[in-house]
Amino acid sequence: MAGYAAIVKKDLMLEVRGGRITTVLVSLALLVLVVLVFAFDRAVAQGPDTAAGALWIALVFAGMLGATRVVLSEQENGCLRALLLSPLDRATIYAAKLTASFGFMVGAAIAATILAMLFFNLEFSMSLAALMLVLILGALGFSALATLLAVIAARARGGELLLPLLIVPLFVPALIAGVKASAAVLSGAALATSRDWVGILIAFDVLFVTAGYLLFEHVVGEE
Amino acid sequence: MAAPVIETHALGKTFGLTPVLRETDFRLAPGHAAVIIGGNGSGKSTLLSILCGLVSPSEGSALVFGEDTRRFSPRYRRRIGMLSHQSFLYPNLTARENLEFYARLYGVSEPRKAADAWLERIGLGESADDRVRTFSRGMEQRLTAARAMIHNPALLLLDEPFAALDSDGIARVKAMIREAADEGCTLVATAHAQLEIEGISFELYEIVRGQVVEYQEKDEARRGGRLRSLLSPRS
Amino acid sequence: MSKPIQNALGLSTLVAMLVALFMVFEWVPTEAEQGIVQRIFYFHVPCAWVAFASFGLVAVAGIFYLWLGGQIWDDLGHAAVEVGMLFCTLVLITGSLWAKPIWGTWWTWDSRLTTTFVLWLMYGGYLILRATAEDTPQVSKFAAVIGIVAALDVPVVIVSVRLWRTIHPAVLVTRQGGHGLEDPRMVATLLVSIAAFTLLFAWLLMLRFAELRMRTRLGALAREIALIRFRAGAA
Repeated sequence: MAGYAAIVKKDLMLEVRGGRITTVLVSLALLVLVVLVFAFDRAVAQGPDTAAGALWIALVFAGMLGATRVVLSEQENGCLRALLLSPLDRATIYAAKLTASFGFMVGAAIAATILAMLFFNLEFSMSLAALMLVLILGALGFSALATLLAVIAARARGGELLLPLLIVPLFVPALIAGVKASAAVLSGAALATSRDWVGILIAFDVLFVTAGYLLFEHVVGEE
Repeated sequence: MAAPVIETHALGKTFGLTPVLRETDFRLAPGHAAVIIGGNGSGKSTLLSILCGLVSPSEGSALVFGEDTRRFSPRYRRRIGMLSHQSFLYPNLTARENLEFYARLYGVSEPRKAADAWLERIGLGESADDRVRTFSRGMEQRLTAARAMIHNPALLLLDEPFAALDSDGIARVKAMIREAADEGCTLVATAHAQLEIEGISFELYEIVRGQVVEYQEKDEARRGGRLRSLLSPRS
Repeated sequence: MSKPIQNALGLSTLVAMLVALFMVFEWVPTEAEQGIVQRIFYFHVPCAWVAFASFGLVAVAGIFYLWLGGQIWDDLGHAAVEVGMLFCTLVLITGSLWAKPIWGTWWTWDSRLTTTFVLWLMYGGYLILRATAEDTPQVSKFAAVIGIVAALDVPVVIVSVRLWRTIHPAVLVTRQGGHGLEDPRMVATLLVSIAAFTLLFAWLLMLRFAELRMRTRLGALAREIALIRFRAGAA
């Protein structure tokens, strides 16, 4: 547990020191939203459906970039090896890296939600709390997958393009559920009406956090 | 006689189609020190990577503290210190933060104090709050040595520990290694030539076509030195 | 892999395929609502079954590879994913061909087509990893992990896609109405087709698996030769 806290604290410190992951992710979210506003017709770009879709596109892109950065921050000077040499379990390293990716993604989600409210003329109301909950559930599942797969992408040859290719199809169920639940919440429905979707999101999170926790040792070990 | 700290059996490693190590039977008793001499790419670093559990052998096995390195549990990893040719330092953290981080990872009590004490020992007390990114190669190497020893390991693996160090740096790191040896730490170091550290008698090995063998003296004058080291008392 | 088994499997595949073709085109009665087009169903469904089965096999092989090690499991997973992708592609093509006359469009986000398409994308990513990265034990582990993760995802994909389509207004007739398989001859034809495609799958899998085994053995021989040359000092 002390080791977990040490890694998380270290990642936070690195970010405060100008790791700039937050800046990059927020700018990316902003850009995605701007592109979507111009890509859609003005009339279309107002409704909750478009806003929900835009938010999730921003979330997916920010998540891929964030997880890659979090993994790459351990690659310089071979620091990942030092973590492997330390008495920590591989699973603890996974948990710590997942926490960092998740934290950055939630930051991006908050920024994207605020921007989307402005761009898509959304009502500021209690539904935003429900929306945040849905986005956080999505971010958890995404970072669980991304932390595992970003290590693969970083270590396999032909890497960087590999992460989106691997993660987007795997993320489809959570994407469907997240967009549906977000659109419902944004159009004023109570979160309870999206119970099935939230259920899928939770199942996805549980499944892939567990899978990542158990499988991580196999992707970080050397030959 | 105490069980050896390191014991390899017909150890071999092949990367892809390139053999690096072969048929290596290497033993080292507790408290002993060994230097492995070899040129670039001779497999010295690979041997150390296998011994610390980072790389798994292709053939044979390596036992460290009696445990197969392929299934190395955290308990054993805690007892090993590795000074690799990679520094394992975070460039955007300060020297003190780096050491404190590793002290925490290894569960050292009072990590802050330990970090400060080691910074003094390596002569970087004044640069404690500078980021490692701004360090010269030599300063980085000093910090790397402290990082490897901060948890007082029982086995130190040193991959060319004096690379890039100036004379002051070499003296300080030698003092640290000697102190570790005095406390009973087992040492394996790699080098291009024999290491001289006062008070430590190194068993000399070299890597010949991927095999770790006892060093064969070619020079009559140096043989006397080797004889002395063989006769010197061991714990 | 023994040649006689391979040949026997190939021969029985041929026989079963001929029987299945006869049944599909000559023996089974034409379905009342969809007409002659519905006969593609006897290829479409067996392909889907085979694709799912092979992706299941990929995950099982992955689990065994991570658990026990052994190149044989990696080769099995590798062969299964390639054959699985072939049949998965056939499902998409036959589905598309069937959709055009019945639903008036080549592609529709029907729940089963969507699920198959998502699977196709997932295992496509797996194949790209295999194609771009070198053949190292490391990449084999990556592939095993991805195979397991993808298999875990399949049930979630099925549930979410089904829910996605049912909540959406159903624009098109559900396929359920199309084939009630009211005639026992239809059931018989489907079963024979499934048997024929399963045999075809087993045969193709065996061929590809044997080839990969051969490659593994060649790799081991090449490593041995490299080691011998290395020992002799030639490398």
